[in-house]
Order: sequence, then structure tokens, then C-alpha cells
Amino acid sequence: MESNNNNYSTRPKGAKATLVKDDSFFTKKRFGFIFREEKKIKEAYYDVTRHEDLLSPGNSACLGCHAELALRTTLRILGPNTILAIPPGCMGGIGVVGFQGGSGTKIPVFFPLLDNTAAMLAGIKRQYQREGRDVNVVAFAGDGGTADAGFQSLSGAAERGENIIYICYDNEAYMNTGVQRSGTTPKWSWTQTTPVGEKSQGKSQKGKDMPMIMAAHNIPYVATANPSFLPDYIDKLKKAMQVKNGMSYIHLYSGCPTGWKFPTEKTIEVGKLAVETNLYPLWECVEGKFRMTYEVKKRTPIEEYTRSMQKYAHLTDEEIRSLQYSVDQNYKRLKDLCRIT
Amino acid sequence: MSAKVPDKLYRLTGDDVASVGKGLYVVNTGLWRYQRPVTDPDLCKRCSACYMYCPVGCKLELNTHYDTNLDWCKGCGICAEVCPANAITMYEEVGEE
Amino acid sequence: MGKIDVLNGNKAAAWGAKLARVSLLAAYPITPQTPLVEYLATFVAEGEIDADLVEVESEHTALSVLQGGVFAGARTFTGTSSQGLALMYEPYIRTSTMRLPIVMALVTREVISPQTVWGGQQDAVTVREAGWIQIWCESNQEVLDTVVQAYKIAENKGVLLPVNVCYDGFSLSHMAERVEIPEQEKVDSFLPKPDITHVKLDPDKPMSVDPLTAGPMLTEFRHKQVTAMKYAKEVIEEVRQEWSQLFGRDHGGMVDVYRMEDADIAIVCMGSPAGTARVAIDEMRELGIKVGMVRIRVLRPFPVEEMQALLSGVKAIGTIDRNVSFAAGYGTSYLELRTAFGGKRMPPMIDFIGGLGGSDVTLEQIKQAIVITQYVANGGEYRDVTWFGLDEVDVDQLFDLEDQADQEVKEGIV
Repeated sequence: MESNNNNYSTRPKGAKATLVKDDSFFTKKRFGFIFREEKKIKEAYYDVTRHEDLLSPGNSACLGCHAELALRTTLRILGPNTILAIPPGCMGGIGVVGFQGGSGTKIPVFFPLLDNTAAMLAGIKRQYQREGRDVNVVAFAGDGGTADAGFQSLSGAAERGENIIYICYDNEAYMNTGVQRSGTTPKWSWTQTTPVGEKSQGKSQKGKDMPMIMAAHNIPYVATANPSFLPDYIDKLKKAMQVKNGMSYIHLYSGCPTGWKFPTEKTIEVGKLAVETNLYPLWECVEGKFRMTYEVKKRTPIEEYTRSMQKYAHLTDEEIRSLQYSVDQNYKRLKDLCRIT
Repeated sequence: MSAKVPDKLYRLTGDDVASVGKGLYVVNTGLWRYQRPVTDPDLCKRCSACYMYCPVGCKLELNTHYDTNLDWCKGCGICAEVCPANAITMYEEVGEE
Repeated sequence: MGKIDVLNGNKAAAWGAKLARVSLLAAYPITPQTPLVEYLATFVAEGEIDADLVEVESEHTALSVLQGGVFAGARTFTGTSSQGLALMYEPYIRTSTMRLPIVMALVTREVISPQTVWGGQQDAVTVREAGWIQIWCESNQEVLDTVVQAYKIAENKGVLLPVNVCYDGFSLSHMAERVEIPEQEKVDSFLPKPDITHVKLDPDKPMSVDPLTAGPMLTEFRHKQVTAMKYAKEVIEEVRQEWSQLFGRDHGGMVDVYRMEDADIAIVCMGSPAGTARVAIDEMRELGIKVGMVRIRVLRPFPVEEMQALLSGVKAIGTIDRNVSFAAGYGTSYLELRTAFGGKRMPPMIDFIGGLGGSDVTLEQIKQAIVITQYVANGGEYRDVTWFGLDEVDVDQLFDLEDQADQEVKEGIV
């Protein structure tokens, strides 16, 4: 379906510019990291272009979807020797498994149930192992299919040491069904089921720390990653592919312009802010040893992050202070873990 | 009833026993766009940031610069934001070809 | 000639899986299926089954692992019971709609509440509309033979449906009987290697499995599924013929028939009560009541034509159910028989419900059922459903004590 005479982009006659960067809340300075990481991005580029894009060129993901970016990159790193599970969720909804006799990818892909992704993959992997075939068996699941309904089968598969790669794209709510609260929705987040009103300031409980829970399963490889930091993610995915003695789990931050309410072009920057504020530190845990993979020299105040999207628009100064405190505490605990392991 | 009931025809599913997908399913996402990215070849440093960060994977690598395949580009604007050389500008779609 | 052993139902099922050369097993222990998991684990540990046994954390996962295995071309086996089946329901119904030829032992048990772990048939009849073929066994020999047969039925290219091999919890699962274990070579000649290609996840030949499918297409797939279920009847009969030629044993096809040639009345039942019914029938025939039995061997697909052919001519039918249906207060086989006859004229039929929650369907109860059915055949009126242990069953009043024959029957059944 990919056309050979590509439809190049030129300025339509008389069209005005729609995005003027200088007006942006984000300054160009913040994007210095592209310059800083230019070499790394070029390396990552060579990794990515080793395989063609294995996802259909057109699917129904929202504009600026962080998870679609992550999935495309993931498949280009994994390559065609891969079997992919897409449980119900955004990636299923946008047509990655396909629609009406068509497939959304060029590799074998299927819908497990919301709550049996890891189990079905275990069955596939076991059978291929018996036949002596080394195939990447990979889940790309949302937070609901991972931390909520899918948790039991994931935990069981981790404990049994199933040799699968489990990637959770965490957009912090059930986005496919229209932004309902999930187990990983952070405190104070607005969602459709944790609305903001006279008696409610969004979700009143803290989200569960899924990557830490997986690290507590003592599996060979656990990492957090963020598609805004692609070279870091690609590195981690390649490590996950090398694991042969159990499960590898990657927890992906996944910004959602639709559900979090920020402009579609800001996805990469919001993701970057999550890391730079220490809200979502990038770390990995290899055979029980924790290590930061991206050191933030001077953390950005959390307020910049909360102000970048509407889901936190209702936060009071006191709540932001409280959030800042818990971000700093979590980060300190993580640093301590890195030190003592 | 005297008329013979014709055998059922499986017009849509053919010989498939269960629902499977064999061809590629493609959504014409180019139709969604309200704005389009336009690259200035003189400014483009070919750093590949737009290529790497395009969620739709619709960036095309040319000898001179990275362009956009408008068949699939949804017009999110990420490429314009991540371009460190400010080489990409988003223009409104005015509906003419 | 195979080997003779004394096996309980669970071990017989494990032997069936071993002979079928399964390559992927996953099961979660639940009473009364637990020993089955232990036997399978032992077989794998001792290298007698060359398979992976996945020690899963729930029944839901057990069946899910097997589904994954089938996607990669495995022949798979599991077993469960009652609440495990209920937990499994989500992947369970999907096994049939995705047309995965998985074979599962269903060690039938009562469902809670009240809290119970004992036998019954309520779990299996509850899921009879989930699209699985259900074969009900009467003996442990039948359990072993049926597990092997089930693969041949399930993997038939025209069928491609999962099969439940149902056997009564405790009554069969924990009771040891003489079982002849067939020779492996002979089973190999009967059962070819699995060749499942309609839903295969293989990087060399990529396809997507179960993409979103809208109404008109789904309608076609559902129709194909129903057609396959109907076709399964033919395959079940073929497999029965082949099995009896190769192994000299015949457990029946869609139905199993006992002394029906000249029967005036028929007892219809399912599962382990059939064994007791055979004894009751022999004894009642001694007393002059011409009674026979039709055992529902396959509940899904239902033996509609077979039932019509066998039962249209009898004077009365008595069904014995170890389960209930909530449709109209009858047991399942009663309800299914009514449906099978549809608008066609059928003999008067009465239902007996018993054996719930591990209580026995006793020889005496079946004899009473036979006498009552005979009474109805003679034009007598009797309540249409009798709950053993709950309803007063006073057969004395049914006899004409002036009649010498009646007198003998009355003495004979006590």
C-alpha cells in the first residue's frame, strides 16, 4: 500500500503558519537535549533503520500519540522475527491487530484477552522453545492490561520465569474507552471517573508503582523508559532481547495529548519534562541491581510539568508542594536503591 | 415451501475458519490533517530528530533534507517542535491540492 | 493387546493425554481434578510425556497458555472442575469461537453456593452453550479412550472445535476400575500429528489473529462455527467406528444405547448414573418391565435425530438428571429432549433430579424411576419432575396389588 511516488509536503498557496514556536510555553532551550544527544540519536537512527517500519503506515492513533511512536520504534528494533500481543486498549483500538480481515502489522500479531496476555505469550514461547526456534515473543500492553486486569497472569508468568518481553505503555488511565481511572493513574489526576468538583480534586489515591512491583518479582531485567528518550529506550529494548533466563519488563511512560489534555505537538516535551522533574526517572534493574540510566543534574520543579497539561489544572499550590515532596521522596528512595544494590 | 433454499455463501470470509488478518489494514490518516509540516531544505541539518520522533513514521529521508509523506501525516506538529534547526513550519491545510 | 491396569478416572484421563502425545500442558489443581494434575506432573517428571507442563497460577491462565500453544502448533491438554471452570470462562468461550482444538477433562462437580467440593453435573451443563463439544463418560475405560478420540474429533479440519471430556467428580474421578491401556503404536496409527494452520502465529508466514471483526463478517464466522458443530456428529460416529475396529471397544457415538431393541419405556441419563441404570434395567427386566436406556454421550452437539429415532416409539421416557436447569425447573436432559423433539409428537416424559452435591443416584432410586415411568406409560398420572430426597416417592400406590405381576415388581424393587 505504500506509494512509490511519495506525496511530499509543500506549503499550500496562501496558507498561514499554525504553530509559531516563539509563542510556545516551552522554550527552545529545553530542546537543547536534541543537540546534546545528536550523536546518540544518530546511532539510534542506525538501529531503527535496520528494519523497515513493521506497523501499517496508517492507523487510528490520536495525533501526537506517544505510544504509537514507541510501538513503531519497538518493532523496528525487534525486527520481523517477532510475535506481538496487543491486548484490548489503545493499540488494539487503533487497529494494530487489524480490522475485517486486514492486519495492522507486517509481523504475526494477535489480540489476547485483557487479562491473559502474559499467559498466552508463555504458551507460544514454550512451544517454539520446544521446537528449538528463537522468536521474540512480545507484549505491548496498556496499564489496564498490565497493572489491573492483566496483573495476575503477568505476575504468574514472571514468577514462572517465562522468557517473554513485556512492555507496558502507561498512559495512566483507560484511554481507549475514553479516559477512565486506572491503577496507575497518579494522585490528583483528572479522569472521567475521578472528575474535579466541589468534593473531588481528581483521583484521591496514589498510583501503583508497577516497575518496582515487577522488580520485586526478581526477574532478570526491569527498566523504565520514555519514548522522548529514544536512544535510552532502544538500548533497554536491546538488553531485554538478550535475556534468555526469564522475563524482561519495560515500563514505558506514554504521554496522551487526548486524555491529559495538552497540545499534540508537545508530546515529546511533556515526556521529557516527566524525566527532568524526576517524576519519572529512567532506571534499570539487571539481576536485582538498580542503576540510573539518565542522571538529571538539576531537577525541574514539578509545577512546570503539572502546568503543561490540563489534567492537573485544578491543583492548588499546597497540592503541588505535596506532589513535589512525594516526587523527591520517591527519587531519593530510588537513588538509595541504586546505591545499596 | 417448495423453493430450494440456496446454500449459504461466505462472501466476506471465504475459506477462513476463524477471524484472521492477512493483507495490510491501512487507515487513510492523511485525510485527518488540519495542518501540515513543511521543511525548509536550506535549514534542515539532517539530524533525523523529526524522523525518529514522528509517531506516524511518515518522514522521508531525501538527499537534501527530511520531507513528509502527506499520505499518512496526521499533522500533530511534533516534528516542528523537535526540530532543533527550526527548519519545519506547520501550515494550515487550506483544502487545495 | 494393551496393558491392563486399575485406574481412577483422573489417571485414565492422564493416560489418554500421554497416549495422544500432547506437547503442552497447563493445569491448576481443584477438587476433584487435583490428582489429574499430579499424574500429569509425574508423567512429565519421569519423561513419559515429552511435554512442557506449565504450573500456572489459575485456571484462567491454564487455558490461556494452551491457546498460545495452539497458536504455535502445539497439541494441548488441561482439566478443571466447577469454580475453576467458572474462572476459566473468559478464555473458555473464546477457545471455541477461535476454533482451537483443545481437549480438556471436565471433572464435573457441583457449583457453589452452598460451599461444596462434591460431585454433580451443574458446572458442565452450565457452559453447554459455550461452543465446546461435550462428551460424557460412564466409565474410566471410556475416559481414557475418549480423551484420545477427542483429539481426532477436535483436530478434524471440518470440525476444529474444542472438546470437553466430562466425567463425574468422585464417582469416576476417584473410583478405580479395570482399564485396558492401548499400545502407543496403535494409538499413533489412529491419531496423526496435529496440523493446525488456520490460526498460526509464525514469523515466517505472518498473519494477525482475531482482528476487530464487524457484524456481517462475524455472522459468517458464527455460522461456520454452528456448521462445524453439526458436522462434528458425523466425525464422532466415524471415530467411533474406527476406534472399535482398531481397539475392539465401543462406547457409543452420539448416544450409547442399552437394551432398547424391544423396550416399552426408556431411561435417559448422562454420565456415571448410567452404570447404575444398567444394573437397575437388568433387574427390572427380570421382573417383566421392558425398559431400556439411552445414555446421552454427547451433550453438545445434541443427538437430535438419534433421540427422535430411538424414543418416538416408546410409551414413556424417564430422564435422570444430576443437574438442574433454571428455564422451567427441569433437569438439563429433560429440557434438551423436549427441544430435540420440537413440535413433533413425543411420548410422555417425566424427570428425576438427584445426585446433587455428591449425593448418590442409588440403584433403588433408578428402580423407582423405572416403575414410575412404566406407570406413566400405562396411562397413569405422575408429577412431571421428582426430586429424589425431597419429594415423597411412594411407589406402592402405583401397583395394582390384585395383579400377580405387580406384586412381584413391588417386592423386587425393595
